[in-house]
Amino acid sequence: MRRVYLDHSATTPLDTRVLEAMLPYLTGTFGNASSVHMFGQQAREAIDKARRQLASLINARANEIIFTSGGTEANNLAIRGICQIAESHGRHLITSEIEHPSVRGAVEQLEKQGWEVSRLQVYRDGIVRVDDVRQAMRPDTVLVSVMTANNEIGTIQPIAEIGALVSEERAAGHRHLWFHTDAVQAAGRIPIDVQALGCDLLSLSAHKIYGPKGAGALFVRRGVRVTPQQVGGHQERERRAGTEPVANLVGFGMAAELARSEITDRSEYICGLRNRFERELETRIPEIVFNGNRKHRLPHLSNISFRFVEGEGLLIHLDLNGVAVSTGSACSSGTLEPSPVIRALGHNDELARGSIRFSFGKNNTAEDVDYAVDAVTRAVESLRALSPLTRVMVLDD
Amino acid sequence: MPYSEIFNDHIANPRNAGELPGANGVAEETNPVCGDRLRLSLIIKNGRIETARFLAYGCAPTLACGSVLAMTVSGMRIDEALQLTRKQLVDELGGLAAQKQHAAALAIETLRSAISNSK
Repeated sequence: MRRVYLDHSATTPLDTRVLEAMLPYLTGTFGNASSVHMFGQQAREAIDKARRQLASLINARANEIIFTSGGTEANNLAIRGICQIAESHGRHLITSEIEHPSVRGAVEQLEKQGWEVSRLQVYRDGIVRVDDVRQAMRPDTVLVSVMTANNEIGTIQPIAEIGALVSEERAAGHRHLWFHTDAVQAAGRIPIDVQALGCDLLSLSAHKIYGPKGAGALFVRRGVRVTPQQVGGHQERERRAGTEPVANLVGFGMAAELARSEITDRSEYICGLRNRFERELETRIPEIVFNGNRKHRLPHLSNISFRFVEGEGLLIHLDLNGVAVSTGSACSSGTLEPSPVIRALGHNDELARGSIRFSFGKNNTAEDVDYAVDAVTRAVESLRALSPLTRVMVLDD
Repeated sequence: MPYSEIFNDHIANPRNAGELPGANGVAEETNPVCGDRLRLSLIIKNGRIETARFLAYGCAPTLACGSVLAMTVSGMRIDEALQLTRKQLVDELGGLAAQKQHAAALAIETLRSAISNSK
């Protein structure tokens, strides 16, 4: 059976060029980068190069990059790290309704500690409004955290405009205010320039850009301080303790360099596949809803609700036919949380439960797309034939 | 735990699916928490379930449990069907993770309702 991987927002396969770059650091060049001897210095040199490669991807300086274990740690370091530094100046932060769970979790924990949180709505198109950020701003706001692009529906947020608003606020005397954006899904898929975005902190992850799992980074603008969340070592200039996973960071650096040099070609190619997929599905399957703004979204992602069908049932059906996708809803222990992101768009539970994320990658082909279209069409037809909701619809008609 | 081959086969090839014209015992039950829905239609004659068909909306275990339920009870005496347990259905499917067993509970509840509703 053909296997078609359409879950690149979950993770991407390691690029073979990345693997080649990593291999020497898993075998012969194994030193601890904190060691003074030659083995250690080779490791240090490799990490410094990776830092420059990563900085180059987002137009930052190398010393503005803190390596972490992944995007989740980067988001935690950004939010907790800033809020712990800033709490004497205010205990209010602004975020959106559709952040990644790692941001949501960090924010909820602060809320339990007495912080006040304004969550920006995203409207039917899945995009926050800069005016809403302006409205939510208070004298005691110390952090704005809005993702660059959403992980479930791919909608691209007005980050540069929010960055400009934060700059205006600071210019007007609101000194203790910082702006973080989670760019884990966006990096490598759309150009990211921290100067143009005007953010103070930006999170990245290696495995979303054909790098290894276990490596991430936080851009921290020069002059911005964060409280370390990992202590007990001098690594990352005292901001993140722990022996560096040299091979992973080398892989991250190489993945970033490849993403930077190939971004235009990759995005055009992948966007073409995604659009072909959507065109075919629209023609072949009635009663489907595309979730989120279809213009301002990442080029690789398509989120669709299939009416009368539940997402997890569809996912398993597709998996049995070799097509790997994901759903924002999860059913366990008799409790089901329909995707909070799809609910935030104002859709009902049925649409939120029937949403599937298809995310394409550079190794997918047109044949993969055609195979997936056939598989989705068959699966939806089969599940609708089983669904009592379809029966209700027919009776209503 | 991964789904068993039997489970996957019920998903790929659901048994006894669809409406059942002439059914004299019908029930549609919903799990109020997760929204999964199962509809079971039975033709009952002389104390025996002659035919059973199901429709289901929900996660994969709900679909598989609907399928295995309709297959299992077809031909069964009513008193036997009323003895059927959640565990038996789960065993028929080759096992289900603990957090997915609510699907089997919905299936048993629907079966009992359909029998109770029969005329």
